[in-house]
Amino acid sequence: MLRMPRFSVQTPATIEEAVTALQSPGARVVAGGTDLLPNLKHRLEQPPVLVSLSRVEGMRAVAIDEATKMLRIGARVTLTGVSEDPLVREHFGSLAQAAGLVASPLIRNMATLGGNINLDTRCRYVNQTAFWREAIGGGCIKSEGNVCHVVPGGRNCVAAMSSDCVPVLIGLGAHVVLVGPNGRRELPIEDYYVADGTRHTTRDDGELSTEILVPLPTGPRRCHYSKWTVRGSIDFPLISVALRFELERDRIDAPITAAHVVAGVLGARPRRVTRLDDILGKALSDQGVASAVAERVHKQCKPLENVPYEAPYRRQMLRVHTRRAIEALVAAG
Amino acid sequence: MSSPSPASLLSVRINGEPVQVAVQPHHTLLEVLRYQLDLIGSKQGCDKGDCGACTVQIDGEPQLACLTLAIHAEGRDVTTVEGLATGHGGVHPLQDAFDRWDAAQCGFCTPGILMSAEALVRKTPRPVTDPEVRAALAGNLCRCTGYTKIIDAVIDASRLMHTDDETADGAGQAPTRPAAAAQ
Amino acid sequence: MPDDPHHDAAEAADHDNWQLGGTHRKVDAMERMRGITRYTDDLKLPGLLHGKIKRSPHAHARIVSIDTSRALAIAGVHAVVTGRDFPIPYGIIPWTPDENALAVDKALYVGDGVAAVAAVDEETAIEAVDAIEVEYEVLPGLFDPEESLASDLQINPYSRKGNLSKKVELEFGDVEGGLSGAHLVVEGEYFFEGTTHAAIEPHCAVAHVERGGSAGDDGLLTVWSATQVSHYLHRELSKVLEVPAHRIRVIQPPLGGAFGGKSEPFDLEFCVAKLAMITGRPVKILYTREEVFYSHRGRHPMLMKYRTGFSRDGKITAVDANTLIDGGAYSSFGLVTTYYSGQLLCSPYDFGSYRFHSRRAYTNKPACGPKRGHGSVQPRFAIEVQLDKAAVALGVDPIELRRRNDMGEGAKTVNEFQIGSNGFLECLRRVEEASGWKERRTTLPYGRGLGVAGSTYISGTNYPIYPNAMPQAAVQVCLDRSGRARVFSGANDIGQGSNTMLAVIVGEELGLPLEDIRVLSADTDLCPVDLGAYSSRITLMVGNACLDAAHRLRRKVCGAVAKRWEVPVRRVTLVERKAIDIEDPDRHIDIAEAFSWAEEDHGLLGEVGSYNTPKDRHGDYRGGTIGASPAYSFTSHIAEVEVDEETGVVTVGTIWVAHDCGRALSRRIVEGQMEGSAYMGFAEALMEQHIVDPDHGGVHPAPSLLDYRIPTFIDTPQLRSLIVEAPDEQGPYGAKEAGEGPLHPSIPAIANAIYDAVGIRLDSLPFSPPRVLQALEQRRAAEAAGELAPHKGTARRTA
Repeated sequence: MLRMPRFSVQTPATIEEAVTALQSPGARVVAGGTDLLPNLKHRLEQPPVLVSLSRVEGMRAVAIDEATKMLRIGARVTLTGVSEDPLVREHFGSLAQAAGLVASPLIRNMATLGGNINLDTRCRYVNQTAFWREAIGGGCIKSEGNVCHVVPGGRNCVAAMSSDCVPVLIGLGAHVVLVGPNGRRELPIEDYYVADGTRHTTRDDGELSTEILVPLPTGPRRCHYSKWTVRGSIDFPLISVALRFELERDRIDAPITAAHVVAGVLGARPRRVTRLDDILGKALSDQGVASAVAERVHKQCKPLENVPYEAPYRRQMLRVHTRRAIEALVAAG
Repeated sequence: MSSPSPASLLSVRINGEPVQVAVQPHHTLLEVLRYQLDLIGSKQGCDKGDCGACTVQIDGEPQLACLTLAIHAEGRDVTTVEGLATGHGGVHPLQDAFDRWDAAQCGFCTPGILMSAEALVRKTPRPVTDPEVRAALAGNLCRCTGYTKIIDAVIDASRLMHTDDETADGAGQAPTRPAAAAQ
Repeated sequence: MPDDPHHDAAEAADHDNWQLGGTHRKVDAMERMRGITRYTDDLKLPGLLHGKIKRSPHAHARIVSIDTSRALAIAGVHAVVTGRDFPIPYGIIPWTPDENALAVDKALYVGDGVAAVAAVDEETAIEAVDAIEVEYEVLPGLFDPEESLASDLQINPYSRKGNLSKKVELEFGDVEGGLSGAHLVVEGEYFFEGTTHAAIEPHCAVAHVERGGSAGDDGLLTVWSATQVSHYLHRELSKVLEVPAHRIRVIQPPLGGAFGGKSEPFDLEFCVAKLAMITGRPVKILYTREEVFYSHRGRHPMLMKYRTGFSRDGKITAVDANTLIDGGAYSSFGLVTTYYSGQLLCSPYDFGSYRFHSRRAYTNKPACGPKRGHGSVQPRFAIEVQLDKAAVALGVDPIELRRRNDMGEGAKTVNEFQIGSNGFLECLRRVEEASGWKERRTTLPYGRGLGVAGSTYISGTNYPIYPNAMPQAAVQVCLDRSGRARVFSGANDIGQGSNTMLAVIVGEELGLPLEDIRVLSADTDLCPVDLGAYSSRITLMVGNACLDAAHRLRRKVCGAVAKRWEVPVRRVTLVERKAIDIEDPDRHIDIAEAFSWAEEDHGLLGEVGSYNTPKDRHGDYRGGTIGASPAYSFTSHIAEVEVDEETGVVTVGTIWVAHDCGRALSRRIVEGQMEGSAYMGFAEALMEQHIVDPDHGGVHPAPSLLDYRIPTFIDTPQLRSLIVEAPDEQGPYGAKEAGEGPLHPSIPAIANAIYDAVGIRLDSLPFSPPRVLQALEQRRAAEAAGELAPHKGTARRTA
């Protein structure tokens, strides 16, 4: 079987201890392990030490912070936990939906939300064994090599951000809490990601993401997460769109006051779709609104050949799935 | 030989029994179960979480032993297929139903499927339905059966487990089949 | 003919079928579900070493040198072998020995084995493999069969005809006349991209040499392997290792699925044996999932050009088939595949006249071989879509068109194969009725459709892989005075339930419940030779051999009871653990006592039974024996699909599968074979693709169960199995195969249902969403241009 390279594991009991342990050179965090362990088995990295969160107190709660009007979700809440949590379901149905669509029930029972927001970018030329990467000529800029097999001549890694939850969290205006040796910082999750597949978050090596904060709705809204992949389970998304519409009233034919549309599985960074101003003031149920949003998505989102299935097809499908998502919202009322 | 990494002593309950075993930090729970403890019921099919053949329960939740660091099992309750029948007189109703339905062909995926199915029937306070079985077992691949007899068996077992004898009409013999999609 | 099992079968059928046709708990399932059964990787031996194979990262390369010194210097490494240690080539087909256990001079595909190590543990073995330095001279890779055939660069060093692995041209009747005189000629070009088995258990082998003592100085080599052909493995080990067969024991532990993917020797079996011989320690090699993909031997890619002539009323007048087969780097079963691509197509329809021209090319890819429905799933796709196109063109209901061409029982095919029983029309009737075809097909809206297809498959082949006149199957059955039976069989139970099938036959004949029967199988030291689990041969062949032995015992037991009761033997039957007087059912004795009486009369109760195939049921021409079977099964599917016109996603809701298995010895096991087959075909139709990427050195783009997508619980349609029984005089109690035939119609039934739903023909597999969408767009454009009427009369929205 595939075996992992040797490493040692530290099992701190507190966040502070974990952060301390993370200052060791090359240390990596492991929580659910569903992303890291396959990558280790593939020898994509060989960290000398893993800092396990398995015995860290806390980071497992879901609670409303009345002061900040945020839902606080501990980074170690499993994806099953997120998808089934009553507060998440009540306030952020699309997040529950996205978490419940990740991979398989077995993965969701193990994987954590913190792991999902830190999910390494993925590429058909990367997530393979070391032998395989040797066979294509010695890897690529994300592994052992210095070329890009997706964009010939490319210098920037375009491995795909493949988390189901991240587009939703960006659309919801979530924040991520990081704790490092210099203390705690909080930043909009939208700013957490950068367009570099070799290192697609702004988290420092010595930092730990401990919490995700999601602002509670301030008014009526409609949200949806749309994922397409070949199989009904196990697969990573090939198409991923998160939608959030703030409404003037709690009716589907009420005017839209704000629109947030975010797509994943493009490059290393999720893309926020812009220029949605012209649907503001219209209703989701208005003729042409669904198509207008779908057209924006199609125009601005350009899938690459970094994951399976032809990029032109996936681009075309982004339009279809976006439109259908809005139609589904309208049908649900 | 590679330079040895320090092993640590893992204390864990496996199938209800306290177990202490020295494990290497880079070994998975599956490696320890299969190759150190000789609990070979948990299978290795895909190397990395894609097939579900290694499914065990940790604190009652079905999880992938091949993606679980062995030392993450410290202090926890691990149930493997070998422990499934504990408290059921030697044969769990799911095992019996799988046997009656010929739901195991090669049987290699079966231990993992049983561990996922057990969690489903335990958490569902009534007989389960076809879509529920499919959803709960969606992380377990089977290549032999086309899944049909497995679904029949899980539904049948759940009927037997959740229905009084007088009303267990047909349970244990006939499957509960969903109406044909077309009819 | 008192000892003729077929004669006796009719007699046997007279007594109560107390096991036959019922449902059974499998004899070996519960221990698997309890996690007790030891598959090959579960074996533990004292001092076990772990092996690992070094593989070529190049698709085509000359091996300049191999330096193993660094590997051998690693502490814990016990031995290293290379191709030089295995100079004798082998091949599952004796006429095409074209592979070595490890590459000797050239590596022929990405993943070809070049060296192997044995070390104290697997991690050290991995480290050692990485330390082996291989210098390669990289050669151009040939990935396209057409290009390969045109190239002067010979891939396989043992090939005698360049890159042509095999060519078959056969013609029966006047094909040109049949085409020119046809009312309608349908021409089509079909492409099947190739798929693999993906059994969940990866290949694994363990070897050990016992020396000294009773094993002698030369020792006894034991190889445990996850194989479905212990006997052929036994032969090839003997040949390659130059060890006499009587000093080798092959044991197949319980197997975690095979589907044809474990039906020939693989590098790991030779390597563990050699490494065990060198080190004197037991050695195990377990493939990673990636290595399973490289070992492959899966379904061949085929490019199939078909011309089919039809009369005005839909009768087939001629079939002209031209097939290019992509074989990969080695022959495997390729000689047979090339014949099968044409030979197995000639039923259930009467072809009038038939010509096929098939060529198999070597390419720098993992070798293709037999996957469930060997050689005939691809052409079955082509011909069944051809029929559907004809039905549309002629305005005939597709089921009716098939009925009109049905050859019926006892027919002789155009290529001179003798058909026995034939339940094809009943299969059609059952799926037609169960699916509501007549009412629903005309009323389903655009986007939804029903499609039908039919097929035939063999129940074993009349001639074995290596020519010999010995029985094709043999079984030994012993009875114990305690009332138990032991069955010794060389047959490989690969999950299909053959051990249970044997127990059902013994139970039926000797009045035993299955729990009183112990089946020992697939151990070359303990069991009679059997040729293995391939070509759907076991139920018919091993079943006949078992019935032969069991019936001899039954006669002895019934005779002993009759003698003591002073009644004619015909009055005694054995059921329910008893011997019973049929005419006076109150008179009965426990079966153990009956066995004791028989043992008093005859001594130890043991009988051997054997079976050999009829040799008068094939074609009288070169190649006419290949594909000839004692009996043929028949299948029909109807698939119901929904096609999403915007995304191209095809959803298969239900597949109705009717299969004529002759006689269902154990109903749920038969149903399980039908469901598993239909599932596997469905998967090939919609999802699976075993390919290499020529732009990236010929690597397999998806060698994992994440990227090679086999359907999950959620994706798999409702599968409705409908058993049809047309007993064949050649089968035990009339039984024929059920494990491969039911796969064949899956793909064309889905293709035809897609046409019914949205009016597009998909002649290339798989029917992936982008391909479906592209075809839909073409159809819409043609409709918009007025070249085609709207399908189902509905004007479509444009994209």
